[in-house]
Amino acid sequence: MKSVFALVDCNNFYASCEKLFQPKLKDRPVVVLSNNDGCVVARSAEVKALGIPMGVPWFQIQAEARRYGIVAFSSNYALYADMSNRVVEVLSSFAPSIEVYSIDESFLDLAGFERQGYASYGVEIRQRVADWLGLAVCVGIAPTKTLAKLANHCAKKGLAGSDGVCDFTILPLDALSELFGRIEVGEVWGVGRKITARLEMMGIRTVRQLRDANAETIRARFSVVQERTIRELHGESCLDLEEVVPDKQQIMSSRSFGTLVYDLADLEEAVASYIAKASEKLRAQDSLAGAIQVYVRTNVFKPEVPQYQPAITVALPVASSDTRVLAQWALRALRRIYRPGYGYHKAGVMLLNLSPKENCQLSLFDAQGGAADARSEKLMGALDDINRRYGRGVLRLAAEGVEKTWQMRRGNLSPGYTTSWDGLPVVIAG
Amino acid sequence: MLLMLDARLASIPGVFIPLLDAPRQALPLDAVKVSAGFPSPAADYEDKRLDINEYLVRNPVSTFFFPVQGDSMQGAEIFDGDILVVDRSVRARHGHIVVAFVNGERLVKRLHRRAGLLALVAENPSYPALEIQEGMELEVWGVVVGKFKRLVG
Repeated sequence: MKSVFALVDCNNFYASCEKLFQPKLKDRPVVVLSNNDGCVVARSAEVKALGIPMGVPWFQIQAEARRYGIVAFSSNYALYADMSNRVVEVLSSFAPSIEVYSIDESFLDLAGFERQGYASYGVEIRQRVADWLGLAVCVGIAPTKTLAKLANHCAKKGLAGSDGVCDFTILPLDALSELFGRIEVGEVWGVGRKITARLEMMGIRTVRQLRDANAETIRARFSVVQERTIRELHGESCLDLEEVVPDKQQIMSSRSFGTLVYDLADLEEAVASYIAKASEKLRAQDSLAGAIQVYVRTNVFKPEVPQYQPAITVALPVASSDTRVLAQWALRALRRIYRPGYGYHKAGVMLLNLSPKENCQLSLFDAQGGAADARSEKLMGALDDINRRYGRGVLRLAAEGVEKTWQMRRGNLSPGYTTSWDGLPVVIAG
Repeated sequence: MLLMLDARLASIPGVFIPLLDAPRQALPLDAVKVSAGFPSPAADYEDKRLDINEYLVRNPVSTFFFPVQGDSMQGAEIFDGDILVVDRSVRARHGHIVVAFVNGERLVKRLHRRAGLLALVAENPSYPALEIQEGMELEVWGVVVGKFKRLVG
């Protein structure tokens, strides 16, 4: 059967989630800021129209913000994650398999759905998400994932297709060639800034030129990855849906603090809570960590204050996924590198040497052996269950602390409209 | 396990007072499982316990909750403090109670759409109907399919 993929992508996802529950934001320019309210990470259509670029630091656009009344939100991850899960759930009813590519993009396997025409199926998908969730999506449809991504780009920019749906499978070859001649090569999936620069030096500036380039030459100059991209641009499907996310080789948890942290006790709380978060992820993928790295950083952007950027890696005697064990080692490591007198700006932990749980090795010196492991597994399972059911952090180590004075700055966080009883949007009966 | 019995309580069968610093012995759950002689006569009739979600929420993916503030919908038995169950997968029709966004406000009203007249109607005589005219912004956000309220904190 001929392969057909759809890439469904939410328009201005974070900003759209903010607007969904707040009628006062209709037609208003809205941005969402990164951790610690630093940079613009999402823009509503109105903000894009003002020409404000992605990634610009919020403090740099204060003049525009005042002039145009731009509303800025801190990242409300709980809201975006819930809405993203809902989108995936709706999309899942349209295809037998789906690859969740990012928080706002999914690939669908549409092979065999051509009876009514892929484009009209795309329109149906788009309408369903709009009706059920109030979010706008664009749909790109093509015989390969690389082309589906490009078709999605065309739908979003209005270069081809209509009403946010672009179906390459019904475009004649010459129309496709003409279209590709108008799109810059950097828009192709997997062609980053560096490769774009090198391609341009070879005279390859458009998607069409890349498609028509000699695959052998590209392979020799770059790698098989780029050769595969060319084959995908020709409509030969080389990339399958990755339904299951491969296990991560390392798990990181780090944050910048809202205010500078000086005390060891505050750093300990931060590190313990990062360990809790990281080890929850570790258990979710059924792995054990063999080593932990802990680091703290002063603010490198303030060279006038004393700087200290230590990191330490400790190997565990026995690989573990127990929050208590990992926290104990991480805190011991932290105490080794901590020096008073510095204003710390950031801390982080990394779980390393991950291995699947089933082939774990018992240490010769692990006196408690299997029984203790089984008990730890039960306890950690219960911990994860409770936190999943009642919200992250409901049950936690005492070492994580309660106050979290070091927590990141999120000055204008919208309520958990869909994730918290206290955050529900009130309707007026008046 | 070492237990010290209080003299007065020791005479009552089954009462043990452990020492404050007595070592604790956790019993695995399996150890307290009772093995019954006969299978339960109800086993064949076992059914899933009722789940209020099933009753109130037919389509979880498109369902959202909105607490109510105000008394304009009393006639429809929607009171201040109730939490509305709003299902976006239900297509809004004439007569449905809806959550609507009008001129920057989130409202709950009955949708009136008949004979070229579009209006949001209250269910309380002290509130006039809100007729939607040219130039007004109306977004019917979702249909109210139920409500709930917890009475004890």
